[in-house]
Amino acid sequence: MNDRRFLTGAVLLVLASVPALAPAADVAGKGLDAVASSRDAKALAQTIDRRLAAKWAEAKIVPVGPADDAEYLRRVCLDLVGKLPSASEARDFLDDRSPDKRAKLVERLLASPAYMARATEIWRQLLLPEADTDGQARFTSGPFEAWLRKKVAEEAGYDAIVREILTAKLGGRNANPYSTRAEPSPVPFYFAKDGKPENLAAGTARVFLGIRLECAQCHNHPFAKWKREEFWSFAAFFAGVQRQGTDDALGSIREVAGRRELAIPGTERIVKAVHLDGSEPAWKTRSEGRQVLSDWITSDKNPYFAKAAVNRVWSRFFGIGLVEPVDDMGEDNEPIIPELLDEMSRQFITHNYDLKYLIRAITATRAYGLTSTVKQKESSAPPMFSAMPVRGLSPGQLFDSLVQATGFREGGGNGYSMDLAGAKGRFLELFANRNERPTEAQTSILQALTLMNGQIVSGATSLEAGDTLSAVAEAPYLDTSGRIEELFLAALTRRPRPEELSYLSAYVDRGGPTGDKSKALADVFWAILNGPEFKHNH
Amino acid sequence: MTPKTPHLSRRQLLRLASAGLLGSSASGWIENLAARAAADPKRRRSCILLWMTGGPSQIDTFDPKPGHANNGPFKPIATSVPGISFGEHLPKLAQQMKDMAVIRSMSTKEGDHGRATFNLRTGYQPTGPIRYPALGSLVSKELENDQAELPGFISISPYRAFNPAAFSSGFLGPQYAPLIVGERAVIGGPDGGKLSLKVEDVNPPSEINRERADARLDLMEVMSKDFLAGHPGVSPLSHQDAYVRAVKLMRSKAVKAFELDDEPAAVRDAYGRNAFGNGCLLARRLVERGVPFVEVTLSATDGSMAFGWDTHQKNFDAVAKLCGTLDPAWSSLMNDLRTRGLLDSTLIVWMGEFGRTPKINKDAGRDHFPNAWSTVLAGGGIKGGQVIGDTGADGMTVKDRPVSVPDLLSTVCKAIGIDPAKQNMSDVGRPIRIVDPKATPIKEVLA
Repeated sequence: MNDRRFLTGAVLLVLASVPALAPAADVAGKGLDAVASSRDAKALAQTIDRRLAAKWAEAKIVPVGPADDAEYLRRVCLDLVGKLPSASEARDFLDDRSPDKRAKLVERLLASPAYMARATEIWRQLLLPEADTDGQARFTSGPFEAWLRKKVAEEAGYDAIVREILTAKLGGRNANPYSTRAEPSPVPFYFAKDGKPENLAAGTARVFLGIRLECAQCHNHPFAKWKREEFWSFAAFFAGVQRQGTDDALGSIREVAGRRELAIPGTERIVKAVHLDGSEPAWKTRSEGRQVLSDWITSDKNPYFAKAAVNRVWSRFFGIGLVEPVDDMGEDNEPIIPELLDEMSRQFITHNYDLKYLIRAITATRAYGLTSTVKQKESSAPPMFSAMPVRGLSPGQLFDSLVQATGFREGGGNGYSMDLAGAKGRFLELFANRNERPTEAQTSILQALTLMNGQIVSGATSLEAGDTLSAVAEAPYLDTSGRIEELFLAALTRRPRPEELSYLSAYVDRGGPTGDKSKALADVFWAILNGPEFKHNH
Repeated sequence: MTPKTPHLSRRQLLRLASAGLLGSSASGWIENLAARAAADPKRRRSCILLWMTGGPSQIDTFDPKPGHANNGPFKPIATSVPGISFGEHLPKLAQQMKDMAVIRSMSTKEGDHGRATFNLRTGYQPTGPIRYPALGSLVSKELENDQAELPGFISISPYRAFNPAAFSSGFLGPQYAPLIVGERAVIGGPDGGKLSLKVEDVNPPSEINRERADARLDLMEVMSKDFLAGHPGVSPLSHQDAYVRAVKLMRSKAVKAFELDDEPAAVRDAYGRNAFGNGCLLARRLVERGVPFVEVTLSATDGSMAFGWDTHQKNFDAVAKLCGTLDPAWSSLMNDLRTRGLLDSTLIVWMGEFGRTPKINKDAGRDHFPNAWSTVLAGGGIKGGQVIGDTGADGMTVKDRPVSVPDLLSTVCKAIGIDPAKQNMSDVGRPIRIVDPKATPIKEVLA
């Protein structure tokens, strides 16, 4: 895509969306229109900037300088659409002289189909984390993902998404986890918890409230305020959920109407459903446990709900949350700047729990726009977001970026197949990071071997099979430095520095060990794709 | 030309860690790495886990019930130890009983494949946010030699779909992740020896000779320098570390261990030319080269589903076939280790995720049964020739000496010289013992 079309497209999209969408808060669950959202997001970004600057001053921390355009472009593309920009997109952006090009870039990405896929993935990982680690949960997650895609397309607010999960109708055609006639539905959330009230309670608290209750399931928690009885009282909201089948195989999940109490296993005690803050549920005649719980959890007044979401979204964009661990926001675990999380949560609620609004705000902050290059030698993440933490690419980001940079095409297969068939499926399985923190992402020997010698990179660095490489090596209008620059733009989203260019040009012109310039260029591409810079969002 | 592979290796991580500059690493893996530096560099023992995917039938293998309807059609056979008998399809192993301890009183709680697989392979229940490491990762961390060319945990033809997390290094980080060869798919897949057990992608494409491979690594090192200097984070360092170790593996002599064709035909035949037979032979070759933990999965016979021991139907046909694969491979492994003087320092563990119902169902099958079932310890570190526990005449309940999962795993640790109470820092910032502290090792089994 050339420079002008790219920019005009972005402007048109922004303008076109103004009359199309209803303004602001009167339509619950709908996103704000882009212009109003951008304006408000900018204000929130300034608030975040002020809070962080005050914190840095107080702690005598000097933040690093801003990221240059190339670093910002790479980062925001990986974060919003899950892959690198193409070489020509990179060149167009770097050569664009307009002062507001970063904000326009964010709008363009938010409006792209790739963003919808990415937002679905972000929500899915947050709402159904089991599908990353547990074969059965992954196998049964299809209807959930299809449902979530619809919600993202509708720009449903986070509160509406969670309400639908918590009040999903159990039974009917979606009751069986292995049904082939399932419709898009949030019910697989219940499959992933084996349809057990205690698992549903623990998962609900962790994901929606950022609270770990699991330990209180069996004994009184040594560190936090929740005791065993409170855990089971919370689980009692799911008392009506019934799981069929045996231990061997999960059967259908249904609900018995009107159940509001549960026996604590191994005891005679029966507890009634009580909220985690100790308040009595607002029962109405014939109201179901999950409905009442859903109202309490997604209430604007719930002290945890919006904060837990904002914290998780923040950690998506910085690799680290304002509170860590992100699912342990208890009272003994203060955010580094409590006022900042409070303010962001308030604004998130006011803006209908709209993810795009949060993204617009975060990507416009000074902190998000800082460079990741630091002077100190410590391996620990920079304090208080005074530099952008370096994050390992997720398996999906790495695969899609490899495809983008190299032009790799595969015949078939997909990442969610049980049999791990196909290049992408095998790759995702090999690189699966199973919930590790992106700032502490690690590389295994097999991963390194695959990148050095495996099918994808070998193909990409072969002059016969590599689309990007052969196009660059054969382009008659490019000289050696032009070819090297093209490979850098394709894989690293930047131009080579002068000293890199002279070193690499000399290598290519001399033809490396084979004396063949094209093969030497392939060696350079191999070294780029295997280096740590390619493998990180920095 | 000597390749200038990246130098930011484990040594640098250790230096950084010991200087206390990495204090806020939350996963704990750097602390674990540092702790390893203090470990005895001399290798002590090895462990080979024979993992039986799907849950093997105890009555048809190691706990026959002669004279009872639950026994089914298999006849018990005598072993080399008077008074102890096996099912009839394990004749070669029966001759090895002097070096085996059969635990007939496993008493566990999980009857679901996924959760039981996790429980047996990690020693913990799969609940909550803690990512417990597999036994192989825990053992390799304790016994790995820092100078070794091969990784400390190698998993041969695993079938991971029941619970992939049960095969991972969890909070110990990927340097203790298994090197996996010959991964199995659900159905079919090659066998009869056709399943490749070589390390995938260990060789560059044929057109890349050594000189060019060196030139590429050289370029990579030069180009990485600035990035690494400006980005001293955990993730870039781990990337460097993995490349150093991968290149070491590619160029090691030890990688020859995977060339099973180097073995005489008679040896290949003795083990059986199938995935499990080849796997046991490979396990011997890896232990000979000092690998502390190797696991070999028996999940299928030719053409069967990949959870072969899950015999809900036609149990007896399937178990006869599986034993036909198990018996020659395992007994050859013990013979070879003994001949080489390695049996005393190598513990062999045989287990699946649970046992199977003593009662035979209407499909001539047996269903999941965690209440009373068998595992076997053989070789080094144990007192052979004995049976632990008793499941009575019908096999329905443990009559004597119930053994829990932590009891079993703490016995395994003791037998290979590891302290089961040792703590590792977990991903939730809480230290976790190698085995749950409630465990009691089976004293009478330990040598």
